[in-house]
Parts: sequence; structure tokens; C-alpha cells
Amino acid sequence: MLKYILKRFLSSLAVLFFVTLITFFVISVLPGDQAILALGLDATQESLDALRSSLGLDRPFLVRYLEWLFSAIRFDLGTSSVYGERVINLIVSRLPVTFFLTLFSIIIASLISAALGLIASLNKGRVADGAIRTTVLAISSLPSFWISLLCLVFFCGKLKWFPVNGYTAPSVNVFEFIRSMVLPSFILAFGEIALMTRMFYSSLVRSLSDDYMIACEVKGLSRLRALIHYGVRSAIIAPITLIGNQAAKLFGGTVIVETVFSLPGIGRLLLVSVEQHDIALLEGVVLFITVMVVLMNFLTDIAVALADPLIRLSGGEK
Amino acid sequence: MKKHKFTLYFGILLISIILILFFISFIYLPYPVEEMNIKGRFLPPSKAHLLGTDHFGRDIFSRVLVSTRSALAVSVSSVFIGSVCGLILGAIAALSPVAIESILMRFVDALMAFPGILSAMMLSAVLGKGVINASIAIAFFMVPVFARLSYSMILENRKKGYVKAARSYGASTIRLVVFHMLPDMITRLITQLSTSIGTAILTESSLSFLGLGIQPPGASLGLMLSEAKGYVLTYPSQAIWPGLVLAIAVLGFCMLGDGINSLLHGEKSYE
Repeated sequence: MLKYILKRFLSSLAVLFFVTLITFFVISVLPGDQAILALGLDATQESLDALRSSLGLDRPFLVRYLEWLFSAIRFDLGTSSVYGERVINLIVSRLPVTFFLTLFSIIIASLISAALGLIASLNKGRVADGAIRTTVLAISSLPSFWISLLCLVFFCGKLKWFPVNGYTAPSVNVFEFIRSMVLPSFILAFGEIALMTRMFYSSLVRSLSDDYMIACEVKGLSRLRALIHYGVRSAIIAPITLIGNQAAKLFGGTVIVETVFSLPGIGRLLLVSVEQHDIALLEGVVLFITVMVVLMNFLTDIAVALADPLIRLSGGEK
Repeated sequence: MKKHKFTLYFGILLISIILILFFISFIYLPYPVEEMNIKGRFLPPSKAHLLGTDHFGRDIFSRVLVSTRSALAVSVSSVFIGSVCGLILGAIAALSPVAIESILMRFVDALMAFPGILSAMMLSAVLGKGVINASIAIAFFMVPVFARLSYSMILENRKKGYVKAARSYGASTIRLVVFHMLPDMITRLITQLSTSIGTAILTESSLSFLGLGIQPPGASLGLMLSEAKGYVLTYPSQAIWPGLVLAIAVLGFCMLGDGINSLLHGEKSYE
């Protein structure tokens, strides 16, 4: 077990190394000379050189990368040129919105998908099965910003259930904060249910046809009872992996709903940094999100290993 | 088996609707796309304006027609670039010695760690806005998906009899991959391509919605929805049509992929 965790840890470290390399290369190197970008094409050679050496751009790529990497490890991501604040403070202040958005939507998506997957697997081959699978595919394909606009019109405009631009900080009023999260969380969850329902469905179907389930049936247990007591335990492993991976993906994909519902989260920060060419902020946000994704995937692997005796006992040698 | 065919046929039907709109856009446009008419703003659907007009008095139907061009052009080109790069990367990783293989696959994992919209936004910040840059940005996040596909397919097939047979005849590695393994993986590839085109259409419109893709006064479904956003509470109808066409396009390609997958693998495709 320890060997497996160590192996996953080392491989996550390798992934992290490439993540930082890609982030730094794409954002700092690919756009070309930042001194020319800042001063314009007709700047004099002296002023360009002066800016380059003050920004440290005259040093080789590897030196700049390592310097950036080591200050990032110490949580020093530089200062945002738009906000004039330290990037790490900006990220931390926006974190609650995105965190709860991700958390709520993954819980909603898991509950809906587990229920639908269960109903579909018990009715395998019947009309309900096909109908559920087609419907979830349709719902998940709908563009989130379109659904957001329609929900805005219907729930906020017509029914007035939710405020239109109603974000309230959790420190002001927790109830209002949760209320402003309801619609965006559901919309984010909709995008995930096709994949998750399919995963619940297929692993339930597989465990329904396992030998021990037949043993349960012989013993006289009802199908639902056998499924809940015995089937779910072996069927839960594949969905755990998917839930973990999708939670990580969702975390980086909240920008659309945050924009439509005016929620001040990490996604909005990302959009501002892209629009305003705030390099330090962009680098910081991209790095933060990708590190979170790698971390989530690592934790998911560990959780799966704990749940799955096959991995737990074999040390991950399949 | 019947319901699998339903998904397939329904997907084909939806894609045909989009293709018809796409071809009509070259043959007949009721109004020039950028023609504004301040007197005729927010008109409801009528004979003159099939889907009404937007906040500049532009004909929504004409703009939706033209938008299918950029949606298809960006998605098909980005999936093409992304899949070719990804497939080659995955194949190289699968055929390399273990050390290089694990380095390349960690690199692919790292690419995977960038959620789709994040890498597209990051690249459009660096490359600038516009159609071509949007295609490159979307192609970027298609790479790891296809890299993993070709990697796993080659690893699976390496031990199969026909590969051993071909190798015993003296086929080179490249010949083996291109002429023997590629035909074997073509079904899974087609499924993935179709789904990816759906995702790419969605990402292109998301980028345009955020103001990072196609720029005004050009027409894109995402851009139209972004413009409709400002008036959505007073004139919700402006937001309905572009979104509906977008949903049809995305759903069409996803269902086609799903349908082909079910047709070829039957019930197994879900397990």
C-alpha cells in the first residue's frame, strides 16, 4: 500500500513539474519579448535593454523558470498589475466562491447520477434504461451559458426566486450566500451527469451480473436489497475515480457560470487576467488551478486504493 | 439494439440540420449579417425576420446561419490539428523505451491537468483573439485525449496475433502502426472524433461568449448569446435561437459518437 502511494506521489510530482514548465513556457516565453510588448516597436534599444534587465528578461530561460518555480513553491506568485495586490492574496480571497460552487455541484451531480444510474441498471434493456441514458446525454450537451441565461430569465426574472445579480459574501449572510450558489451549482452539475450516470450504470450492471449477486438471489434477497447491501460496495470504485477527476475539472471550469451570475470566484479572476494581460495573475491562477487538479487526482487515486482491495493488496501491480 | 440505433439516427438528424443551415448560409442570406437597423430593434419573429432582430436591428436568422460557418470551421480544424498531434505523440510514447515512454506520458498527464476552457483561455491570452487562434487554443487541449487513445490502443494491440504476424514478415514499426494498427483503431477513433467536434463547438462558443474568440461584428453563436445577455431579462427571445442551434450542434455530434460506439460494441460499450 505504502509502495503504491509512494509511486503515485512520485508520478504526481513528475506531472507537476511538467505543469509548471508548460505554464511558464506558454505564458512567459511564447508571447515574445515582453519589453517590446510593454514599450512598443519604436522604443529605443537602451530603454528596451533597461526594462529587460529590470524585469530579468536578459537571463536564460532555465534560470528564469527555476527562479519563478522556487518563489511559487514559497507561495510567492508576484504582484498583479491590475489589482496592485499580491496574486496569492487575490486567489485566496476568491477561493470560497469557486470551492463551494465545485463542492455543491459535484454533490448534486453525484446524487442525481447515482439515482438515475441505479434506476437504469435495475431496468436494464427496458424503455426506462434507454430513456434515462438518452436524456442525460442531451442535458449534459446543452451549453452551460445558454442554460444559465434561460434560468436567469425564468427563475430570477419570471419567478423571482433568486436575485439577478445577487452575490452575498458568506461573511455577510450565509443563507444568502448559499441561495446565490443554488442555480450556478445545478447548472454546473448538469454538465457532469451524463458521464457520471453512465459510470454508475455500467459499474452497477457489472456488479449485478457478478457471481456473488447470484448467490444473494439464491439466498432469497430482493434485487434492490442485494444491490444496496452487496452490489454498491464493489460498484462504487469506478465512480469514486470519476467523481474525483470531474471535481478537479469542474474547479477549473467555473468561469462561465461565474460570469453569467456575477460571482467573484477564481474563474472571474482568470477572465480579468486574460482580458487585461496581467501576466503574473494569469500565471498564478493557471498554476493554482492545475496544481489543484493534480492534487485532487492524487487524492482520488489514494481514496480508490483504500476502497479497492485489489489495489490495496497488490501494491498497484495490475 | 433498437435504442442504440435511435441515438445514432437522432444524432445524424441533428447534424443534418446544422449542415443544412451551413449550406444555406452560402446560398441564401435574407439580410447582410452586419446590416444594422436602429428603427427595427428587438423585433419579434415575422415574415420579414424569421427569428426577429437583435439589439442593433440585425436579422437573427441570417446571423445564426453565418455562425454555423465559424462553429464548424473552428471545431473541425482544431480537432484535426489536435488529433493528428495527439495520435503521433501517443504512438511515439507507446513505441519508445520505458524511460522516454514514462516521461512522455507524464507530459500528457500534465496537459490533461489543464481543464479545457482554462487552456483555451490561457492560449488566447497569449496568442490574441480571433478565429485562427481560437482553433489553435482548442486544438491544444485535444492533444492529450488523442495521445492517450493511440497510446492505449497500441499497447493493447501489440500482443495481438496479426501484429506478431506482420512483424514476422518484416514490417517496419511505422508500417505496422499505419497499415495494421490504425485500421483496427479506426472505430474508436471515429467515436472520439465525433464527440471531440461536439466539445470543440462548445469550447469555441464559450470562448466567444467570454469575448475571447470571434470578435464583433462577426457572427458566432457564443458571441450572439453574449450580446443577448445584456438584454436577456427584457428581451429573452434574442437568447433562445443561437443557443438552440448550438445545443443541436453539440448534441448531434455527441449522439453520433455515442451511437457509432453502441452500434459497433453493442452493450459492451457501456461496460
